[in-house]
Amino acid sequence: MGWDVVGVAAFALMAFPVFWMVSTAFKPTDEIHSIDPTWFSSHPTMQHFRDAMDRPYFWTDVKNSLIVVLATVVIAIALSFVAAVALAKYRFTGRGLFVVLIIGIQMLPPAGLIIPLYVVLARYHQVNALTGVIVTYLTFSLPFCVWMLRGFIVGIPKDLEEAAMVDGSTRLGAFVKILLPLVAPGLVATSVFAFITSWNEYIFARTLLNDQSHQTITLWLSYFLGTGRATDWGALMAASALIAVPVVVFFLLVQRRIAFGLTAGAVRG
Amino acid sequence: MGAILGYPIYNLVRLSFQQYGLFELLQHHGIPVGLHNYGSILRDSVFWHTLLRTVVFTAANVGLTIGLGTLLALLLVRVSTWVRLLLAAGLVLVWATPPVVAVQIWNWMTNSQNGVLNYVLTQLHVGDYFQHNWYETPFSQLAVVTTLVVWGALPFVAITLYAALSQVPRELLEAASIDGAPAWRAFKDVTVPVIKPALLILTSLSILWDFGVFTQPYLLIGPGHIVPDNYLMGIYLFQEGYVRTEFGRGAAISILMLLIVAAMSAVYVRRMLKVGEET
Repeated sequence: MGWDVVGVAAFALMAFPVFWMVSTAFKPTDEIHSIDPTWFSSHPTMQHFRDAMDRPYFWTDVKNSLIVVLATVVIAIALSFVAAVALAKYRFTGRGLFVVLIIGIQMLPPAGLIIPLYVVLARYHQVNALTGVIVTYLTFSLPFCVWMLRGFIVGIPKDLEEAAMVDGSTRLGAFVKILLPLVAPGLVATSVFAFITSWNEYIFARTLLNDQSHQTITLWLSYFLGTGRATDWGALMAASALIAVPVVVFFLLVQRRIAFGLTAGAVRG
Repeated sequence: MGAILGYPIYNLVRLSFQQYGLFELLQHHGIPVGLHNYGSILRDSVFWHTLLRTVVFTAANVGLTIGLGTLLALLLVRVSTWVRLLLAAGLVLVWATPPVVAVQIWNWMTNSQNGVLNYVLTQLHVGDYFQHNWYETPFSQLAVVTTLVVWGALPFVAITLYAALSQVPRELLEAASIDGAPAWRAFKDVTVPVIKPALLILTSLSILWDFGVFTQPYLLIGPGHIVPDNYLMGIYLFQEGYVRTEFGRGAAISILMLLIVAAMSAVYVRRMLKVGEET
């Protein structure tokens, strides 16, 4: 019983910031500005959500984020699946170097990668272009996708694959019929994880995109807070909630598998 | 694949031995300067102050994350099922919150005009925090950043450790308590050895993340208030390399950071390499 009280208190403490965001987003402006806070508003309003969506570039930047994220996920998953199978099932020359590269890239502080990427992308006129951002996102999503998928593929018993081959299937047939259905959940989890990290990404977008019409939604949110005193907190929290929703939904769907993939591969969170 | 991963690293190393500014960016090639970038960074007192500050920041953040994360994991084991589900749901919710969103929530909660933090602290008689400015001193700024970073990192650590705790043999814990061993003794001798591998990996990963942290301090302190007195390594690198467009120097800082971080999280690197070899 005593521990339950502590548990509920821990929950309240951890969840409070998220609750406060949602609570503020629905609160009328005069309640937000009051010195004594209202915990639950008795007059909930949708006005802040409308204000947030009406701000310049909101929808443009949502669209930009979706383009970048979807392209990154599709390319990363296709490439890393092949690489992960190779890594999990075959020995090849340069395998050791490959592993070192994957781990090395993940160890580099993200801030450390912006310099070489910026210089290279400037050379090919990819600064201020979404394609440049996609290439950049691939450099950090490929390593963790490979590593995470490898964890899922290694878990498949070799006997199953061999049994399928004995039954007269070709290697490709065995692959499609046996391996693919078994790794499908892993593929979904890895895709979602790539989706979330790209959607949340800030520093690369910050360095590569300087034009307001070409920004991602996280950048848009980061510029929300003006220099003036009168910040529109209601609209800021409504926008924050809107941006967090897709991530939370996806995350809840595959949380268990992500937790597994993270510990199996131990990748960036 | 190898090219996508290898090229940035190759380029990073090469840049660190070059003078590469805006002019060279337009020319598309740098001027080789040997070890000049490294020399000038190692002679820069801002580098050493920032390094020291970042090491202290990292130690505080990692310590709090692992300590509180372990307590949360132990709590998850003790509580009844509905509280466990509630707490786990709360943790997942926090885990799923995008960092930039979290920064804006913190901005709102800690703002000096009508932030809820000042209100609650004043109501609880912790002190008079009416219109208290949390961004007054570098120490206070980084303390607020710490609460944000630790809050965001706790769910991953707590949930992973909770999974590791389920491997602890119940009979051993019961035997320990029957033998009259104090709870902390049972924890130290039975629980810790089982969750040690998970603890080591989590600690290494936390060091890796916290040492290079950028988004949270940069946005919470605010780009306009970033000064050498509150630099962390990630921000120092960003300011020197990107904002001042001294890319060669920035690359050298990255390499130095990578070496420091690799040394600090050697456990993680060794372990990952072994995993890669085994399968």
